Amino acid sequence: MFDAGNLIGELEVTLDIDVLVGAHPDRDVPRPVLDVLGEHPIRHAAAASLRAALFDVESGNDEILARREFTPVAAVDLRDPIGAARELERVAGLGVRAVRLFPEEQGVEAGFPSVRHVARRCAALGLAVLTGGDVRRFWQPLSGLGLDVVFLDTHFYHLGDFLVAAQEEPGFHTSTRLLNSPDALEIAAAETGASRLLYGSRAPFYEPLVPLLRLATSGLKPDEVAAVAGGNARRLLHP
Amino acid sequence: MIIDVHAHWGPWFFTMDVAEANHATMDRYGIDLAIVSATEAVIYDAPAGNRALAEALTDRLYGYVTVNPRRLADAERDLAAYLPTGRFVGVKIHTDYTGSPVTSPQMRRALELVASYGVPALVHTWGASVLDLARVCEEIDGLRVIAGHMGADGFRHAIEAARACERLYLEPCWSHFPAGRIAEVVAAVDHRQLLFGTDATLIDPSSAYGAVAAARLEPGVAELIAWRNAASLFNLEIP
Repeated sequence: MFDAGNLIGELEVTLDIDVLVGAHPDRDVPRPVLDVLGEHPIRHAAAASLRAALFDVESGNDEILARREFTPVAAVDLRDPIGAARELERVAGLGVRAVRLFPEEQGVEAGFPSVRHVARRCAALGLAVLTGGDVRRFWQPLSGLGLDVVFLDTHFYHLGDFLVAAQEEPGFHTSTRLLNSPDALEIAAAETGASRLLYGSRAPFYEPLVPLLRLATSGLKPDEVAAVAGGNARRLLHP
Repeated sequence: MIIDVHAHWGPWFFTMDVAEANHATMDRYGIDLAIVSATEAVIYDAPAGNRALAEALTDRLYGYVTVNPRRLADAERDLAAYLPTGRFVGVKIHTDYTGSPVTSPQMRRALELVASYGVPALVHTWGASVLDLARVCEEIDGLRVIAGHMGADGFRHAIEAARACERLYLEPCWSHFPAGRIAEVVAAVDHRQLLFGTDATLIDPSSAYGAVAAARLEPGVAELIAWRNAASLFNLEIP
């Protein structure tokens, strides 16, 4: 009863696109992220630092760069677009391939000039962008720049908006975390191809089992499942 | 045996095509029985939706009579028509679609009507509204209510509500699945007040199923949640 292991079977996530290190001061202290990941068939993760997102980008990014067990994802502070551009130059020079935006945590709206400014700088530096926020709004400042983008908060309510935006933006991708309607993965794969879908758990703040179960029980073909479970993320972060 | 006490039958207005997906969705997760409300009844026209659902119920789908608190004459007709069939075993009331908060006078009248029929009511709750539902339930003799979504992000309010009213039951469905939510509720609430619900076919069962599986429940507790409490509450004959 409630036997998730049986449903997940042999599925393994080879690269989880959405993992966080650190804590939110306005929430309970999370379980250690490696403990959480270790309880699931998640072999590797791309992680960003909440210290960078919420307090100090440089020391936070250095923290995540020092964690060799993760693929590092840098963060910038959209409340300081001048400093953000400077930090992007620094982390790109250190070999980082992706930057994560935290607009909701930083109280930044899609129409703020800083978002477009950071997007342009990421495009110039060849950095992929992983972003939180409502895809119906954040598609716009990230469009038209040839960026690889992963929308981390796409809810299945907004799947149609993601799909029509992705039709015009070959670099637009989405996490499957909240695509948990009975047919969202299948519709997305049919409309844009499974190459646009990436498994993201948001460990340790969300239950990794849920998107694992959805992917394992989906109607996607085995090669598509493998791509969603890490192949697509590896293409973006380890080209 | 798993009984889903929060399910739907019919189409949705999002980018999805699930109107015929009930049985296939249940089969993916080993869900044996579901109690469904008609989406048309919940979202737009309660009598039309209830009428259509009466023709669609199967040996695995029991029905909720959906009540719009603003249309109580319709509700009385539908309750009298459908509850005696034995295929409808409870009442569904959505607070938002009907503009009827739990504290509204029309909701109180609707719940009094439900109580007079002796069947449970599944009521949509979000945030702190679950506390309002507990207060109203305490004030209406014999009423039994299920707090749909157990308050979603207000699950700590749901704990308080269930402790305040033993005739209030909790079911967990939500498209979000923050870590530890189910375990925290199970640790704090009388296990006889806990049910399993998915919100299928709007939400894939992976969300509730995965969240419950992640809580690693004792087998006896899992069985209560999976079906025993539901069978007792709805007086279902389980072979």
